[in-house]
Amino acid sequence: MTSRITRTSILVFFGLVWLLPVYLLVINANKSPQAYNSNESWIPSGTSLISNMVNAWRLSNLGDSVLSSLIYSIVSPLIAVLVGAAVGFAIVALRMKHGFWWFVFVFGGTVFPLQMVLLPLFDGYSRMGLFDTHTGMIIVYTAISIPFSAFVMRNFFTGIAHSVFEAAVIDGASTWWIFLRVYLPMAVSALVAIFILQATFIWNDLLLGLTLSQSDNVRPVVTTLSGMQSTYGGAQLSTVLAAGILVSLPTVTLFMFTQKFFSRGLALGQY
Amino acid sequence: MTVKKDHYRWAARSFVAPGVLLVAVVLYLPLLWTVFLSFTSYDGLSSPKWIGAANYLQMFQDPDFLNSMSNTLLWVVGTLVVPVGLGLVLALLTFNLKGGVWLRLPFLIPYGISGIGVGLIWSFVLQNNGALDQALHFFGVVDNPRWLLDAPLNTVVMIVAAAWQGVGVNALLFSIGLQSIPKEPLEAARLDGARGFRLFGSILWPMLRPLTTVVIGLSIVASLKTFDIVLGMTKGGPGRVSETLALTMYKDTFVNSQYGLGSAIAVFLTVVTLLAAILYLREQLSKKNEF
Amino acid sequence: MNRTRRIAPIASMLAASLLLAACSSGGASSSQTTGTLKFVTDKGAWKPQFQSLNSVSQKDIKVSLNTTGYSDENQYQAFVKQSFRTKQSPGLFTWSTGDSLKQLVDQKLVADTSAIWKQEIANGNVSKDLEKYYTFGGKQYCVPMNIAYWVMYYNKKIFDKYDIKTPTTWAELMSDAAKLKKNGVTPFYQTTTLFTFPWFETLVAGTDPALYQGLSTGKVKYTDPRIVAIMNVWLDQEKKGWFNNAGTTTDPAQMLKQGDMAMINFGTFFGASLEGVGMKPGSDYGYFVIPAVNSSLTKTPVPVETGPMCVASSSKQKDLGLAYSKWWMESNAQSAWGAARGDVPFNPKATVKDASLKTLGTTVASGKYELVPRYFEAAPTPILNVALEEFGAFAANPGDPKPFLSKIQTAADTYWASKK
Repeated sequence: MTSRITRTSILVFFGLVWLLPVYLLVINANKSPQAYNSNESWIPSGTSLISNMVNAWRLSNLGDSVLSSLIYSIVSPLIAVLVGAAVGFAIVALRMKHGFWWFVFVFGGTVFPLQMVLLPLFDGYSRMGLFDTHTGMIIVYTAISIPFSAFVMRNFFTGIAHSVFEAAVIDGASTWWIFLRVYLPMAVSALVAIFILQATFIWNDLLLGLTLSQSDNVRPVVTTLSGMQSTYGGAQLSTVLAAGILVSLPTVTLFMFTQKFFSRGLALGQY
Repeated sequence: MTVKKDHYRWAARSFVAPGVLLVAVVLYLPLLWTVFLSFTSYDGLSSPKWIGAANYLQMFQDPDFLNSMSNTLLWVVGTLVVPVGLGLVLALLTFNLKGGVWLRLPFLIPYGISGIGVGLIWSFVLQNNGALDQALHFFGVVDNPRWLLDAPLNTVVMIVAAAWQGVGVNALLFSIGLQSIPKEPLEAARLDGARGFRLFGSILWPMLRPLTTVVIGLSIVASLKTFDIVLGMTKGGPGRVSETLALTMYKDTFVNSQYGLGSAIAVFLTVVTLLAAILYLREQLSKKNEF
Repeated sequence: MNRTRRIAPIASMLAASLLLAACSSGGASSSQTTGTLKFVTDKGAWKPQFQSLNSVSQKDIKVSLNTTGYSDENQYQAFVKQSFRTKQSPGLFTWSTGDSLKQLVDQKLVADTSAIWKQEIANGNVSKDLEKYYTFGGKQYCVPMNIAYWVMYYNKKIFDKYDIKTPTTWAELMSDAAKLKKNGVTPFYQTTTLFTFPWFETLVAGTDPALYQGLSTGKVKYTDPRIVAIMNVWLDQEKKGWFNNAGTTTDPAQMLKQGDMAMINFGTFFGASLEGVGMKPGSDYGYFVIPAVNSSLTKTPVPVETGPMCVASSSKQKDLGLAYSKWWMESNAQSAWGAARGDVPFNPKATVKDASLKTLGTTVASGKYELVPRYFEAAPTPILNVALEEFGAFAANPGDPKPFLSKIQTAADTYWASKK
């Protein structure tokens, strides 16, 4: 069908345009710091991508941070996804009284600018001994992921006919069983999407890591890397760009792998 | 039936509790502290001094603040048109297309790239004599606008940079919505002869509502809080012309150590965002007869 | 169906993370005078150099640093200020002299170091001239972390190509710039963020040091006709195209190497950045002290920047911090630092990689030159912030200086009024 061909060609063209900045990122990260020239940004040269990445890793002691960031980006979104789904379930399926306002309360958590949360949180964490700990970071990352999760799941669950819930109740199921065995499995694609988006967001976090952690083994990876760049002299641009690519590899790979998952699609119950 | 209702109330509370508790403690407590600070004068070192509503009065009379507000409004509108609008177009184009999932991939990659990379690439592309200017020179276009130095061009250009990251995510969410539309009504409409825009208007758009609400709602909230990308590209400058509310708040607090004034702006921003969110959601969600 | 299969890995993940959380913590703390000292700094990029001194400090006084670097200036300052009242009060941290340090001293947040200064001056480890930047109310606080002079760096290859010699008078500098421009080379560097003040400082201090001094005490207004006249000189140079494109965010060392401009008014710490892009001192780049604008001045003003290393008075590691501070000022430490960073040392007995820097240090201390505090430290913080923005805006859109100057003056009026 011509429409298929037209659509595909439009998408391929724009896809390439979209990737142009990535092209720039890669070829400039590939240049050796000594030979770099900012007036030739489109022209590829050099083969220093790997050595720049190794250099960046060494300069900022990335190993420990990578482990920490992995923990944060896996545990926190996981908890947040389940907690958010629970909120959505209570409001939609269990038809909680004043459900809209409970929902607004939870969603409202994302309304407040993050920068203002930093200093009071630092103060509180310090008092409670949570400063510079893995637990402290996990708690805060989970809390900021819940509003988005609750929002998407609440809306997703409204697409499931209530008769599904009623039928399960008639069958004698408990609310927990209905949640875990009926609603969650139906929402897998949404759950995975939320998980990936939040995991990426947490992986790329700079501010929270900067304020609430200090030691190399607790700091997330982007915070550690940011120490490389400074007006008082630091790593050269190609090294910093190489570091940027290095740090982005896991998240970009994650997106590529889960693409297959989304293509399987999902048939929902009656509307 | 009354027994069942009570049973659900308990269950509902236990489902909602973890979310509410975490959000209340980690996010709302600092909010309360900020509200308190907004009525004080505080430099971060000595103790806060109560000054009533003086910060709010000062804020509304400052022309830079009003400029910041109009920039933020520009961001909200721009974000709805570009990343959201294009996201929808992209989702529709890849809907039911063979290999559509892979064609969507280039748009998703930018979201996976870390903030360090994104801020750097775009300033590097848009600075005077940066990559964009070099490319235009190559095609013979010599007299280029100063992308990042002239307002409001710099805000528009930054919205495009933000869209680069945002389109993919919105397309993904819209695609989830499209996939969960049941096949029967769609087939029925097709058999009736509906095509293209009619199909979209009468079937797809209404059935996308749950996801559209999510995307637009999130977009309004996120765009009102625009911060990272402006800080990375122009720092609100030159001078203060491209500042958004979140940036003004940040400068007052962290740069000028005027925590009271910064808090007042934060409270104002939060109230505006909350109101916008509630109004939009209320209108959207009341249309659902499930509720 | 696969819910149960998912639970096992999830559970083990949670267990693992809890275990790790239990094992993780910050560095050690001690109220003795030996051990590991937690050090926070905004010069995050210098972390490797700070850490490299540990082998020497461990040998000399059995103290080593555990350094955490922060790269964002504003967040760093907010963080440190907030931490004074918490258990994280830093045992050692870097800061800025001038108004920023005065704020901390006024609130009694930093430890007194008068005894250390007295001893080190007596031992010849530091010049008494430096003391005044660290003195408040007759007592000293903190010790110098570094010192840098603001001079003019230039691309030697470009100078040689057009047969330009380093200028010894302002008139020569101006004609050099004109010659460069005629040959299609941009003479000077400018930026619209952070380092927007050097040219203002060079022009004003070089015209009349008393005028420059008056700005920092509030006696001279930014809207003073003499200041406006000086800004018009700058405007004229902008119109002649003597500065690079303001919208550039490329690293200045990179730009000097590429010849995007021939000269840059910067601090002596810049040498390390130039080496980082592959330029060699003497063959690729050089520097000279900028001659005074006003040739009738008897002494040429040289802006100096000195950054302190401080100990928080409420810190659990206060004694450790003070022990390290004392050691830092001595020749062993300063020679090691000179080898690591290659900066000008404040300790006349220390050795440094680039011998010419050491000569610079002694030269500017002599009669023909006069040290003036860098604008960054001389201007009170609220005024500085507005000034940096306005100078940047001026560079981006050069025009009548009066509106830019009045904005700075408004901030100055508010500040000085609050001090009465």
